[in-house]
Amino acid sequence: MARMPREQWYDIARDLDWELSYVDHEAVFPEWHSGQGKIPREAWARWDESYKISYPEYVATQREKEAGAYSVKAALQKSKVFDQLDEGWKSVAKEHFGATAAIEDMAVYAELRMARFGLSPAWRNMAMFGALDETRHAQIGLQFAHELVGKDPQYDWANKAYQTNEWGIIAARATFDGMMMTPNVVDTAVQLPFTFETGFSNVQFVALAADALESGDINFANMISSIQTDEARHAQQGGPTLEILMEHDPRRAQWIVDKTFWTSARLFAILTGPGMDYYTPVEMRKQSYKEFMQEWIAEQFLDQIRDYGLKRPWYWDEFIAGLDTWHHSLHLGVWYWRPTVWWKPQGGVSPEEREWLNEKYPNWEKQFGWMWDVIIENINSGRMEQTLPETLPWLCSLCHLPVGTAASPNNDKYPVRSYPLKHNGHTYHFCSRTCRQIWWEDKDTLHDPTVIERLLAGEIQPPTVEGILAWMGLTPDVMGDDAYGYRWAKAYVPAAAAAS
Amino acid sequence: MNRPVGPILRMSDDVDAIVAAIIEDNPDKDITVTDRGAYTRVSGPGELRLTRASIARQLGRDYEMRELQGLMSAFAGRIDMTSEEVRWHLGSPATISSSKSTLEEPS
Repeated sequence: MARMPREQWYDIARDLDWELSYVDHEAVFPEWHSGQGKIPREAWARWDESYKISYPEYVATQREKEAGAYSVKAALQKSKVFDQLDEGWKSVAKEHFGATAAIEDMAVYAELRMARFGLSPAWRNMAMFGALDETRHAQIGLQFAHELVGKDPQYDWANKAYQTNEWGIIAARATFDGMMMTPNVVDTAVQLPFTFETGFSNVQFVALAADALESGDINFANMISSIQTDEARHAQQGGPTLEILMEHDPRRAQWIVDKTFWTSARLFAILTGPGMDYYTPVEMRKQSYKEFMQEWIAEQFLDQIRDYGLKRPWYWDEFIAGLDTWHHSLHLGVWYWRPTVWWKPQGGVSPEEREWLNEKYPNWEKQFGWMWDVIIENINSGRMEQTLPETLPWLCSLCHLPVGTAASPNNDKYPVRSYPLKHNGHTYHFCSRTCRQIWWEDKDTLHDPTVIERLLAGEIQPPTVEGILAWMGLTPDVMGDDAYGYRWAKAYVPAAAAAS
Repeated sequence: MNRPVGPILRMSDDVDAIVAAIIEDNPDKDITVTDRGAYTRVSGPGELRLTRASIARQLGRDYEMRELQGLMSAFAGRIDMTSEEVRWHLGSPATISSSKSTLEEPS
């Protein structure tokens, strides 16, 4: 029997809705969840997703995607591919698993909130597919990492990281809580599917796949790029929601995009930047982090913002300047505080790697090279205690990343300093004017004490590095150390000294 | 390229045929293909289309349009998808300027 083409029946079927008569509309769609704001209720009738799919098509396609991902894993399981992967590259994967697997689970709830409280039946229908997608992503991330736990306990943090108070995870949790859990669903649709999933997650799940494949991690490249095919579809919830919001409340739309873009950019500077520019073996790097960000964000996402009539965020020049510095500052910090992470940061400053950094970032030597020279000198002189932390850096009250990492030393325009704010008798510190501005506007929903504030409040006992590490859940078998055992620094030992 | 649109395709046996089909379906467009190994970015100015018939012809087998979803990791522009055709395009043209923070700066 010939089947009717989807487009002949789909719009009617997915628009199933009803007039409420036993309860008030507000009782079913409370404002704090549904986020109608200035948008009249009838405006939602024209919500129309352009990337359509029926349930039978969804099931058939997802089955093929799963078969494709798991068959590659099964084939490679019997090979020696994993054992031959570079230790620096493995840390890219470990950081990814820990930072994303449980977030995907949180995204299930964000999608389900849109499926329940979205004011258009078409939107609610698409969000259900989104919830199924995110369930798949949480499961596949946990499953692929779980298989490697026997070889390396750091992979266990795919499951564990979000259950801890590790500082990087607190930064990620604060960012994603502000995007997925605390906003109403209109704001969530503009933050998560529109700004994050059509912008930033492409860098982590598609661009990073290019480095993964080049590094020989076929399994990882196959998995993350498969995940992103789901995101490309359900991310389309953002566009129609944004169009309606732009028509009735463009100021709110602009603010939501602006703040989400900034907090995502700060997080990616630690989640993605060091992996691409330091951990991935230099000969395997397809492009630099800055080049990938220019391709996917500064060009593609900016075109998208423009297409919906939005303006460029007010801090755009600072964001672009930050592509030269933020992730370098954060890499320096992560490497120095390496016992506080669940992966092994690759120093990545051997003479060859340094040449690559200076080629991609002409100011790198002036801003960061001299500090690495001090570290190299300490390593090669056996003064390892001077390369390790004795306390913690001050953290930004919005992004939870160290104050000073939205800047770099010897940088006149964005110097290393705090941007303080006194509020209700307490002084908060921020890494940048923009973090301070966003916190000020959203302080009721975004405020979460930093690790430093908790330390000073006496929540962490004993208040020593050992006490802090234990509080973060880091045990000696998973604490980070240099991925190459410091051998990259040996190239700086003068030939005569090396021979003696 | 001014305002490029188009798909980003993940590694797959079908990528070459799909790129050929896009070129076939857009004879008047200047199309750029960027191969980064794990993904291939196909870009054209303003609007690109891709038909099921062209993909089937290039692959030499029947093709369901939904199969494209398995290898399209992302796309630039907006998308319209029917059982016979996909179209990547832009909405209304706009000029870009900077948003001004009209918010009260905390002191």
